[in-house]
Amino acid sequence: MICCVRTPHPSLLAAWLQTPAWRGRPLVLGGLAHDRGGVRAVSAEARAQGVVEGMSLNQAQQFAPDAIFEPVDQEATARVRQSFLATLHRFTPDLAAAPDPGCAFLRLDRLTLRWPDRARLLAAITRTIDEVIGMAPVLGVACSMFVSDVAAKHATPGTPVVVEPDQTRAYLARFPIDTLPLDDDLREYLELLGVRTIGRLQAISRPAFRRQFGIKALDVYDLAMGTDRRRLQRFRPPVRIEASEPLEPPVDNTQALQFIARALAEQVSGSLLAQGLGTRAVRIMLNQESAPVLTVEVRYAYPVTTAAELFDGVRPRLLRASIIAPLERITLRAGRLEPAYIRQPGLLIRRDGFQESIADAVARLQEEYGSLMVQRAEVRSDAAPLPDHRILWKPA
Amino acid sequence: MPDRLQQAITVLQSRFGSAAPRPAAPPCAARPSGIAEIDALTGIGGWPVGRLSLLAGPRGCGKRTLAQRSLATASREGPVAYVDFPSRLDPEFLSRIDARLDHLLVVRPNSLRDGMASIRVLARAGVDLIGIDLPRARAAGLDAELPHLLHRVAEADCTLLLIHDAEADDAIRYYASLILSFQRSAWVFSRDGDLKGLQVDAAVVKNRLAPPGHKQRWIVPYPIP
Repeated sequence: MICCVRTPHPSLLAAWLQTPAWRGRPLVLGGLAHDRGGVRAVSAEARAQGVVEGMSLNQAQQFAPDAIFEPVDQEATARVRQSFLATLHRFTPDLAAAPDPGCAFLRLDRLTLRWPDRARLLAAITRTIDEVIGMAPVLGVACSMFVSDVAAKHATPGTPVVVEPDQTRAYLARFPIDTLPLDDDLREYLELLGVRTIGRLQAISRPAFRRQFGIKALDVYDLAMGTDRRRLQRFRPPVRIEASEPLEPPVDNTQALQFIARALAEQVSGSLLAQGLGTRAVRIMLNQESAPVLTVEVRYAYPVTTAAELFDGVRPRLLRASIIAPLERITLRAGRLEPAYIRQPGLLIRRDGFQESIADAVARLQEEYGSLMVQRAEVRSDAAPLPDHRILWKPA
Repeated sequence: MPDRLQQAITVLQSRFGSAAPRPAAPPCAARPSGIAEIDALTGIGGWPVGRLSLLAGPRGCGKRTLAQRSLATASREGPVAYVDFPSRLDPEFLSRIDARLDHLLVVRPNSLRDGMASIRVLARAGVDLIGIDLPRARAAGLDAELPHLLHRVAEADCTLLLIHDAEADDAIRYYASLILSFQRSAWVFSRDGDLKGLQVDAAVVKNRLAPPGHKQRWIVPYPIP
């Protein structure tokens, strides 16, 4: 069984989290009222006044003159969506993010041992999402993504709609054909034929439907019968952890830069700690004013988590970086993430527990001191009898 | 050591702690140098593992030749490194004495600090033997670096060979577990008058692992193979 979890658009949630007073009022996101541009997201109250996504902002202002018009906060939106998906990922890794940013699908089949009672599981999902994003989601449970999505759209917060597999056809039969992802031609054909509900479409046999509308339209027919052949594309938690800070006004003071880098290292460390991870590589990206972005890589012999360890690696690279213009932004991105617990067994042995491969050590030295720091020698027997010709030095 | 003696020492150690009798030379693993005379001279059968050994003496007395032979021997067993401050390593000589050059990493640092940092990293990564060719002119600040370095080397069971072109400084003298001093004593000629080699006198100036004071004569063959 697949559970569809639906929330309002994450940019709306982000706006509500930032300004709780906007809840219950018509809110239009995409820009200020007289800006050029389109509507990105609308609250239910604004929608009731006729505003829809994609409409120009000027037009939206005519429909809803008393609505609040705000630009979309991209960073906050991404954060809300990420925490929404990460929260669901804690229930099961069988999680797919839908193209609609406020929607996700969970496969419930492997949760029966942990959650034998499905109602309690759905209640737990609702409660947890509500705690994280401040809005209870609507849930629909069915045997396919399409049916669960339809069910979720007709559910209310706290009252999930569950469609058992043997009731799928009967459940879908009542909905208009617009529920299906139809193109304009197919919709027009079906309306001409008098097929206005999914139930009427289900009455047509599959070979007859194929003869009439072609093989491509069979996907729509299968959806109408409750069969969704789309595969659940798994959501994977982020493999990088990043912290970034815009610098306004631009900074050219090394001391200030170190101070900011230390704060970013603490942010990255907090995220790593929360997820029980350590990083073996941190990339520092320095956006220079009217100069190319400077990227510096820091490698660690073992997965580090604490801010002090991170900063110990970052600081010398930062001081050595060839910065030629004041910095507008500094970003720390942690890569090569590994579970932090792998450090623990090492405590039982004599060393400090970390064994770095020689290749990694050489790469780290070359990255820090240049490619000619560690070399290998090769003797070429076929070369001229001069030392410079006979011996080939190359970076290890 | 007989079991009864060992038991008695254990009882004394538990009763008197650090005041109890202890072996004059702690047991220490050794890595062969590739030259039987030198192995005999060290008293433990080679270079001590996890410690610093110093090859001291004036120019042209065979220190680097000995270090390169030791590298060649160790390279047949595992990874080795050579920190070449003066850029004098001769890979061709190494290949002639059957060193595995694919096991050899040559580090050419710009400063003493960079060199010491790379030794720490390589020792931790599992390099068995690291030769350090450090002229006296570039050894300033070594006394501050050696404690950190030796701690890491001891943890990693790595052998350090330091080649120094003069009598050791106080810091090196203190931290080295084994100091061999080399002096060239005579040229060796064959009966027909051809130069056969260089006779070098090696003496153990300091040895924490076996009785010091031994001397050994060693011939560096010419031409070097």
